Order: sequence, then structure tokens, then C-alpha cells
Amino acid sequence: MKAGLEVHQQLATGKLFCDCPAELSDDVVRTVSRQLRATGGENHTIDPAAAFQASRGLTYRYEATLSSCLVELDEEPPHRLNPEALRVALTMALLMNATPLDEVEVMRKIVVDGSNTAGFQRTALVAVDGSLDVAGKTISIPTICLEEDAARKVSEQAGEVTYRLDRLGIPLIEIATGPEISEGPEARAVAEEIGLLLRSTGRVRRGIGTIREDLNVSTMGGARVEIKGVQDLRRIHQYTSHEVERQEFLLEVTAELRSRGASVPDSPAKEVSQLLGARAEGPIARALRGGGAVLGLGLPGFGGLLKSREGSSERLGREFADYARSAGVKGLLHSDELPSQGIDEFVAQKLRATLGATASNDAFVLVAAPTASVSRAGLEAVRHRARIALDGIPPETRDPLPDGTTRYSRPLPGRDRMYPETDVPPIAITPTLLEEVRSTLPERPELARARLVAEHKLSEELARQIQRSGATDRFLELVKRGHPASGVARILTQDLASLENSLPDWEADRISIETLDALLTAVEWGEFSKEGILPVLTELAKGAPSFEEARARTGLTRLPYVELRALAQQLVDQNAEMVRERGEDSFQPLMGDLMKQVRGRCDGKAVAEALREALADGPAPKGT
Amino acid sequence: MGRWVDIETANGRRWKGTLVPSHDLSGDRVIQLKLDSGYNIGIRIGPKDIVRAAEPPSMDPEPEPSEPPAVTVEQPNEGRWVALLTTGGTIASRVDYRTGGVRPVKTEREVLGFFPDLERDGPVRLVPVSDRLSEEIVPSDWVELAEHVVRVFGEGAQGVVVAHGTDTLAFTSAALSFLLEDLPGPVVLVGAQRSPDRPSSDAFTNLAQATRLARYPELGEVVVLMHEGLSDDRFAIHRGTRVRKMHSSRRDAFRTRDGPPLGVIEGEVISFHEAIRPRSAGPARTSGALDPSAAILWYHPGLDPRRCGAFSQGLRGLVIAGTGLGHVSLAHLPWIREALGSGVVVVMTTQCLEGNADPFVYSTGRELLKAGVLYARDLLPETALVKLLWSLGRSTDPAEVRRLMLSDRAGEFVARHLPVETP
Repeated sequence: MKAGLEVHQQLATGKLFCDCPAELSDDVVRTVSRQLRATGGENHTIDPAAAFQASRGLTYRYEATLSSCLVELDEEPPHRLNPEALRVALTMALLMNATPLDEVEVMRKIVVDGSNTAGFQRTALVAVDGSLDVAGKTISIPTICLEEDAARKVSEQAGEVTYRLDRLGIPLIEIATGPEISEGPEARAVAEEIGLLLRSTGRVRRGIGTIREDLNVSTMGGARVEIKGVQDLRRIHQYTSHEVERQEFLLEVTAELRSRGASVPDSPAKEVSQLLGARAEGPIARALRGGGAVLGLGLPGFGGLLKSREGSSERLGREFADYARSAGVKGLLHSDELPSQGIDEFVAQKLRATLGATASNDAFVLVAAPTASVSRAGLEAVRHRARIALDGIPPETRDPLPDGTTRYSRPLPGRDRMYPETDVPPIAITPTLLEEVRSTLPERPELARARLVAEHKLSEELARQIQRSGATDRFLELVKRGHPASGVARILTQDLASLENSLPDWEADRISIETLDALLTAVEWGEFSKEGILPVLTELAKGAPSFEEARARTGLTRLPYVELRALAQQLVDQNAEMVRERGEDSFQPLMGDLMKQVRGRCDGKAVAEALREALADGPAPKGT
Repeated sequence: MGRWVDIETANGRRWKGTLVPSHDLSGDRVIQLKLDSGYNIGIRIGPKDIVRAAEPPSMDPEPEPSEPPAVTVEQPNEGRWVALLTTGGTIASRVDYRTGGVRPVKTEREVLGFFPDLERDGPVRLVPVSDRLSEEIVPSDWVELAEHVVRVFGEGAQGVVVAHGTDTLAFTSAALSFLLEDLPGPVVLVGAQRSPDRPSSDAFTNLAQATRLARYPELGEVVVLMHEGLSDDRFAIHRGTRVRKMHSSRRDAFRTRDGPPLGVIEGEVISFHEAIRPRSAGPARTSGALDPSAAILWYHPGLDPRRCGAFSQGLRGLVIAGTGLGHVSLAHLPWIREALGSGVVVVMTTQCLEGNADPFVYSTGRELLKAGVLYARDLLPETALVKLLWSLGRSTDPAEVRRLMLSDRAGEFVARHLPVETP
């Protein structure tokens, strides 16, 4: 069993099809509301799930921010594809020995969950057939694409989803590996290697959510499934093995359905609300009380196949429920789970008769929602999924769940859901352009790392950390300015990294090299101690305009030696008894106390010297 | 096109996919291939590359997408019908990905496939009139369209919707406003700024609301219905003679100049900001022909008077979009006098697009007025042109043409310019 990885990395080149900055923004300048329809692509077929999603009649609210213009609002045609983003994609292609295409054609990929104002995502294949060596193994890189990121979901309530447009249109490089990865550590190593290559271009966005990984799983006889946004790559094995188990189970169900001659009727969904009446409980009762409708569908030959099998948590019923949920319906009940929700054998018999599911191996499904149209959409989604079950397994995009399983999210955008973006002319990858990119390729990460280790006496791990935080250039510059490599590495990989983790949307790059230079100089001159570094950086991150101002805000001005000496004397006086008894041995406990008092304002060496002097002088005589 | 091919390039690379039409702006000798993944790519074919026909690969186990379930709306297929006249343009066309071109939808089935809930309030009859992009439309098309409107009202239509390309929609709405008389119901022109093959198209909501408005019982004039604002929940109703496309791409590109739009649709409510022309007992009729021998001249600094003199040759009427209150450099006076002397009706409008053209404020205006230029108050230059074609079609006497130009026929003048901001 093997899986492929898809790495999506945001670029810091400005947006892909307009001139907006590729930055998130909290400044909402206006909100518009829209509806989306399912429309056909090139072959005029409408994806059923998309049709259902659209038929829910959801309203999408879009928050326009300072990082978006009319293009993100779908009020202006896309501009030309961002040439800088294309250069980064070509750089990646060459770094991975891939072949760029002669001409790049931008495509529209239909997505009607509202995350794209246009109802489609723009995407283009840039290069193919690359490869990457990871720990001695060659991993194939079949495709490198350039696409636009989606809007980010802000909130969701009944009938309405709100998205913010700041993220929409940020360029994403999508790098897909072949289905060659089997173990979690390997997946992590591959993802990290790709990540380092991306960072080496110097044009990637950093911070939480700027790089995302999907998992592609294909099985023999089954279908390709894309698991979106796998946070923890260590669990890749768990997700893939669950997926195999799910597909094997569903294939067996299909075989059984076929041998029984099971079928899915075309007859319209039947309203069965009256049959349930006062007996209903749970979600069905709630839907009925709210004036909703319960619709039913008979499924001849499906009896007993909707529930799970012993020793397995998989069940077709859950797949049905997931499809119904994607059409906005939460309440689904099938005959294999009866009695439940107040539906006893007596009611079940009446339902069977009404729904034409009277044979012993027939099943039926009930769908309940607050309105008849939503119920209908949900039932049609179930009908669609039931039809697929007669044939096999649908290719899907699935969401990872914390327990290692996955859940249906939407149909996999395939051939039929892609059609040309006629508003953007094709882009020729000329030999001249390729030569330009080739002549400015960044140093490969492993070579750069070897140099860091050799020239600056860093450990392999520390060198890797510097690369991972994208700070190689800053490291080299600060060392060139005469700062010790270890101190520079510490600030770049520890202090700034921990700040980035604690402050969302903040990036270490915002602190200029001059400021870091001043900070390191102050520390090296003993103006304040290493303990003061993080508080000063925090003030800078919070908006202090300069190093001096940040230091002033922390109160970490250097304590003059005279004052430090006086504080040491005071401490010795207060502990006169101990000092007289233990002499030199009282240094350790007093040093701790004194450090606490002056933390960050003096260097440890100076503190020790002042304390030694005070101890040598001894406590002031009593009474004076 | 649409054939599976197997391409082997001189450097040993192989590509398999379906041949698709190349983009208009593709490079020389580049062929476009649709790969199995759905992506299109461009391959530059060299002299040593080999292109062979190939068998389609066995497809993914992906089940063929089934037809979407028919949306079963309980259709009250009785009651009075609305005529939907299609003329082409974005709203009634779809991109044909096989040829790369845009083609109009032609059958009722196709239209209803796009707009399944179009007949929610009653039947709609499709009347294909033409299938051109609106920049290709000429004045004789306006007359033909007006005749179609008269015909469908004669056959019992309750109202008429005209689906039209947006580029010249305002010209057509002005033309229908002048050509049609005694309307027994609304004539609603509607367009879309996004084609209906996009999930986000404004065609769906615009057409649905236009059809609703066409059933509005009291309205008896030509109006334009489009988005008001960028959301899909407010629609402006513009008087056919006062509207202008003010943006090349926004959904709310259409704006009424010199005041608020005639009305607005929000949710279930249709409301009007000012008095509407009530419907007539009918029958609807058209008033004569248009004489296309007029043109618009947009004045700008440095415009060569000799060029303008040549431009006015052979015209019976000329609309000048002048600066400010309606001015051109006095260096243009000689050719203007000459044109007027030979019977050309010269009409002055303002290129500010709002406010009156007024000859009395500056001496330049007074000179032009004395020469015989007709100041057309706040007529939009485009509306003035259409009205001039109509007036010239009604009379060969310049004096009568001038009289017609200044008399209000279809609400084209705004008497009171109120101190409110135009959206």
C-alpha cells in the first residue's frame, strides 16, 4: 500500500492573477453576498454533488479586505499570470529535474463550495516528470502546478457561509509525488525536503497555514482519494491503511449488491412525515416539529449492507450520511439501524410498504431536514451515492479526522471539472526564460547546509534549522558583520521561531537585519544579557519602531556597574549572618537572588564579579 | 479535434491526450493537448516530433457522471406568458470548448437547462431574434427587434424580456424606447457581465428578476434590469433612455445618470423611485424607421477641425459630446457653420455624462448656439444619437427634426436635477 504526497506552498510574490499583495488582512472594507450555480464544463455535464451543493441555495458572504480587489470579487477579469510566481515554479521544476512545458495553459477547476467567488479555481500545469532524492531513495515528482489559493472560511451558519477574500488568489505551488511513500517518517522526510527546496527560492510565504500537505491514496480496483490538509504526516500510515480498509469493504459490498441484482429506483422521493407522526424521536422528530419534511427512498437489494460488518467500523450507511451532509442534511436514518428514533417494527413495515422495500433483503433510507427542498437535495445525494455503490467506489476528496479515519468532503475534481480559463492567454516557456531561471538557481539546500556546517562550525541539525526557518541569508549576513555564529543561530532558530509560533500572522522577516545587528551588538557589549533578547524581540514584534525603543519599553536599560555593586552589597548586608557563617560558600545562593533582581539588565559575568567583590568586602558592621 | 493522440518528441518524451483547439494566442506550431488529469498543455511540435493517432486509454474507474436529477418545480404552466427574445451576448451564450468560441443558446430546452427556475411564475416563450455579440448590432436590428416586440404583444405576451449583450445594451434600450408606442406591458432588457457557464454568473439572477419584472402589471415602458451593487440580492430598474454602461466588467456596471434609477428590486419587493409610464391598452406599435446617417463626435483638446469637417460629410445629423456645459474650440466654428448650412442637424451634449448642456453661460456656447447648434440639455450622447436617428427617420425637415429632438418622448430628459449623489 502506497500513497503520494501533494505539497501546497504559498508564494510571497503577490497574487497570481491580480496585483494585490499576497498577505492576509483583518481590514474588512465591504461585504458582498452571492449565490453559486452548478454549471457544466467542457462536456456539459454537471457534477451531481456540485448540483446538490448549489441546489441548497446557500448564500455566500465575501469579506473584501485591503488585500483584495475587483478580481477576487469576480468583478474584473484576471490579469496576466504573475511572472514572478511562474519563475518560482520554474525554479522548483529545475531544482527537481522536471521538464517545463512548452506552453502553460491556465484551467478552471469547478469548485462550488463558495471558497472561490468565481465558482472555480484557476490552476495550471507548469512542469512534469521531476524527481527528488530523499535519504538515498528517488521519489518521482510527476507534476508541478501553479494555482490560486481559495478564500478562507470565517464562519458558517444556517443557510450562509462567510469567506474572507484576503487569501483568495495567493499563488500556490503544488508539488505532487508519485505513489511511492509507505511510511510516516518517509512522508515527513519527503515533505521536509520539498519544503527546504521551496524555502531556498526565497520567495515563499511563512507562518501557520502557508504550507499544506494532502495525501493521495489509490488502491488496486478501487478509486483515487485525496485526503486534504493532513496536519500530522506521522499518521500517514494510519490514514492510508484506513483508506485501504474502507475501499476493500466497499468493493465487497458492491460485489454483493451485484450478485443480488440490487437496484436504485428512479421514482421520486416520497414524503413519509405523516407515517412517523408522534412516534418519532431524535433528529427526525426535531425536523418534523420545526415544520420540516422526512423523505424516504426504497433500495431493493441493499438490506443488511448499510451497516458495518463485525470487526470493521466501515459501513455504506455512513457514506450515505456523508453525501446527505454535503447536501446540507444532518438527519439520515436507514433500515439497517432500526429500531431507532422511535421507529419500531410496526412503523417500519408501513414505511417498507410505502417505499417499495418489502422484500427481506430490501432497505430504505429516510432523510430529515427543516425544509422539503433541503430534504430532497439530501435524498438525491443519497440516491446518487447508492447508484455509485452498484458500480464501485467514487473518487473523492476526503477530510482527515483526528481518529485516523476520513470523511467525504466533495467529489474529486477530475477531467470533467476542468475547462480552459479563456480570459488568460497561454504563457510560452521560452528557452530564453528557462536560461534566465537556470542562471539564477539558488544553491541546493544540502550544499548550502554542508557549507554552513564546514564554515561556521554548526551542527548538521542547527544548520538544518536555520534553513527550515528560511534564514540562511540573514545568518550569513550577521556573521559577516562580525557576530558569533552560535549567537546568531540562537536568535534566528529559537527566539524568532518561538515568537512566530506565538504570534499568528507575524513573520520574523519583519525585523530588519539592522535591528538584529544592533541587538546582537548590545548583547555582545554586555549592555544587557541574553535573557533580555526575547523580551526585546517581543516588543519589536508588537510594533516598537526601533531596537532602542523596544529596549526602553522592556525597561531593560543597562544597569551601571556602580548600581549593580550597590545592589550586591545590599544583598550581602541582608544576609550578613549567612555570609559570616558560610563565607565564600554563600556565593551560589546569593548569585541566584541577585540574578533575579537584575535579570536582563546586566550580564551574568558582571553580576558574579559585583557579588564576589561585595563578599570580599563583607557585610557592613551592625549598627552602622 | 477530440482525437486521442500519442506524441513522441525528438528528445524522447511522450505525451498522450486529446487534441483540443489551441487558444487564439497560442504560439506557432503549438498544439494543445488535454491530458488524462484534465489539464491542458501546449506542446511545440518540431520537425522531428511524431504525432500518432492513439486509442483512448481505459478510463478511470470513475463512474460516468450521471445527468443531474431533473429539478422538479411544480410549474404553473398556465396563465399569461412572457416572451424571452434572445439577441446573443454573454447572457444567452456559452463558451464552446471544442471550438474555443462563444455560441448562442438556441433552443428553449437549452435555456431552461441553464435557468431551470425561469418558469416558476408562469410560462416563458423563447423567441430567438439574432445571435451576435452586441458590438455587431446595427440600427436596423433595433427596428427588427421592435417589430418582434410588437408581434409577441400581439400574440398575447404579458411582458417582454430581451436578453442582450451588455456592450451596446443601452443603445438598444434607447432605440426601443423611441421606436415603441402604446406598450401593453413592460419591455425589460437584461444582460450579464459573467457568462452563464460560470457558477458565479449574474445571468441567473438577472434573468429571473427580469422575467419577474416583465409580469409587473402596471409598467408600460422600456427598462433595463441589472445588478445594483456587487451582491446578488438587489437589482436596479433603469429607464431605457437614461442608462449607461459605466464599467467594463462589474456586475453593477449599468447606472442611471442624473439621478437614482427608476426602481429597485430587493427580495420580493419591486419599488419605484419615481412615476412610471403606465401600460397602455395597446396594441403596441412601432413608429417608423431609423435613418442611420448620423454619428457622435467626442471633442478633445487638439482635435483637428479639418478632420471633423471631413467626418461630417454625408451625414444628416451629428451629435457632439462637448466639454463641460457643451463646448468645443471656436476653431471648429467654420466647419460647424458649413455643416449646418448644408442641412446637417448638429446636436450638443456634454461629455460629463451628467448635468445639462447649456449654451448661455460662456461666450463659446452662445457663439455655437448662434451658429445653430442644438443644445440637447441632459440627453446622454448615446441617447441623443439614437434619438437623432429616430427623428431623422421621421422627417426630412431639419426644423422638424430639431423640434422632435427637444420634445420628451420616453422620459429621456430629467427636468429637476436634485442634490443627491448618483450611485
